[in-house]
Amino acid sequence: MNGAQDLSLFSMIMCGILLLVPLLGVWYLKLDIARNLLVSTLRMAVQLILVGFFLQFVFRYNNWLLNLVWFLTMIAVAAFSVIKNSNLKLHHFVGPVSLSFILSNFFVVLYFNYFIVNLNFILDAKYMIAIGGMVLGNSLRANIVGLGDFYQSIRKDEQLYFYKLSLGATRFEALLHFAKKSFLAAMNPTIANMTTMGIVSLPGMMTGQILGGSVPLVAIKYQIAIMIAILASTVLSISLCLFFTVGKSFDKYGILHKTIFRNNP
Amino acid sequence: MLQDFSFDIQPGDKVIVSGRSGIGKTTLFRLLLGFEKPDNGAIYFENQMLDETTVWKLRRRVAYVSQDLNIGRGNLQAFFNETLSIKANLQYKNDSLNGLNGLLDYFNLPETLLQKNIEELSGGERQRVAIINALLLKRTIFFLDEITSALDKSLKSKVLDYFLLNPDFTVLSISHDNYLPANATIKTLKLD
Repeated sequence: MNGAQDLSLFSMIMCGILLLVPLLGVWYLKLDIARNLLVSTLRMAVQLILVGFFLQFVFRYNNWLLNLVWFLTMIAVAAFSVIKNSNLKLHHFVGPVSLSFILSNFFVVLYFNYFIVNLNFILDAKYMIAIGGMVLGNSLRANIVGLGDFYQSIRKDEQLYFYKLSLGATRFEALLHFAKKSFLAAMNPTIANMTTMGIVSLPGMMTGQILGGSVPLVAIKYQIAIMIAILASTVLSISLCLFFTVGKSFDKYGILHKTIFRNNP
Repeated sequence: MLQDFSFDIQPGDKVIVSGRSGIGKTTLFRLLLGFEKPDNGAIYFENQMLDETTVWKLRRRVAYVSQDLNIGRGNLQAFFNETLSIKANLQYKNDSLNGLNGLLDYFNLPETLLQKNIEELSGGERQRVAIINALLLKRTIFFLDEITSALDKSLKSKVLDYFLLNPDFTVLSISHDNYLPANATIKTLKLD
């Protein structure tokens, strides 16, 4: 495989000049985000440079323990991000959400590496971190929708939840309606994305592989496999997240603790 | 709200809860169903104190019709099926579904309504659907929270007759209606 063509310093300067387009747009429309735009771009660049150096190091040594620690770090950051963006309290959810992410993502990534790619060393940095990152990133987005929607809709529709309890439903039976709704909300974007894939957008993984020198037919096989892996990890992680968090979030009477929300009214 | 307050209900009693709005009539039902907990005092159901275990038993023995008509969405037949698919109600499923058309008829609802979605129903239709759903549970203790507020006069009396004249039913009802069946024995619980 020949890797993608390297970008020289001159290339990166030209890239910086391209940044003038959004900046001019912002200036012309008098949008109050110029500072934010610059700070975010700078932050992204610094973050990526640091990660780039670190990954160079990780890939060179390709040590199973180091790979594992880095993947766990990625999972921890994802779990924090899900809880924060779902408007839920960190200390209440960090344990169960991290555990769900660890179980679901490890299962999917190791399955992928062993049964699909047939790696001898299933903790290989290149596969574990790249594939893991894609799977994790997508299930993170789905969980922000799924977990957030689940608890917010019980709070919003509490009368309906109580009504189901009053009909004699167990807590599990009463929550099933809300869980189904959250699953749909979480999975719909991935399913919609799959139906237009390749026609409307060329997925990041395929783009990366083609630039990296793979022939399109190989890239496509990986893309199909990764989409299925993303679906599997999404369903697994949301199920586990709900399963592990529900016990702590309701009292023995089946009433939702309002203290689990960050903006507790 | 609800201080220095005590009452008891015997099987077969028909009790009307009255009092000005905001006094805590609905809160009383929420306390009885364990959706809220009293700061002090205790509630007993069939000689057992209501706690985290007995509350689940009570919810399987009592049929509650809320004044809030947020009862769900989607097809009405599926809604009734879902109620009867709850594990606690499963034993009555066939029997209750057989009696469904009779109940629809009694409460002046057409059978074609079953094909509609709950979102399409009027307030009055939804209120009767909630009543029928409670009756499908085959329970004999009823907590009824203003269940005739969206009904016209003739339907109001029909609904109240159904509950207040049945000797097997134990009823605790919040109601602002002046109508009461002439030959019913009614107790009043006035909150003030």
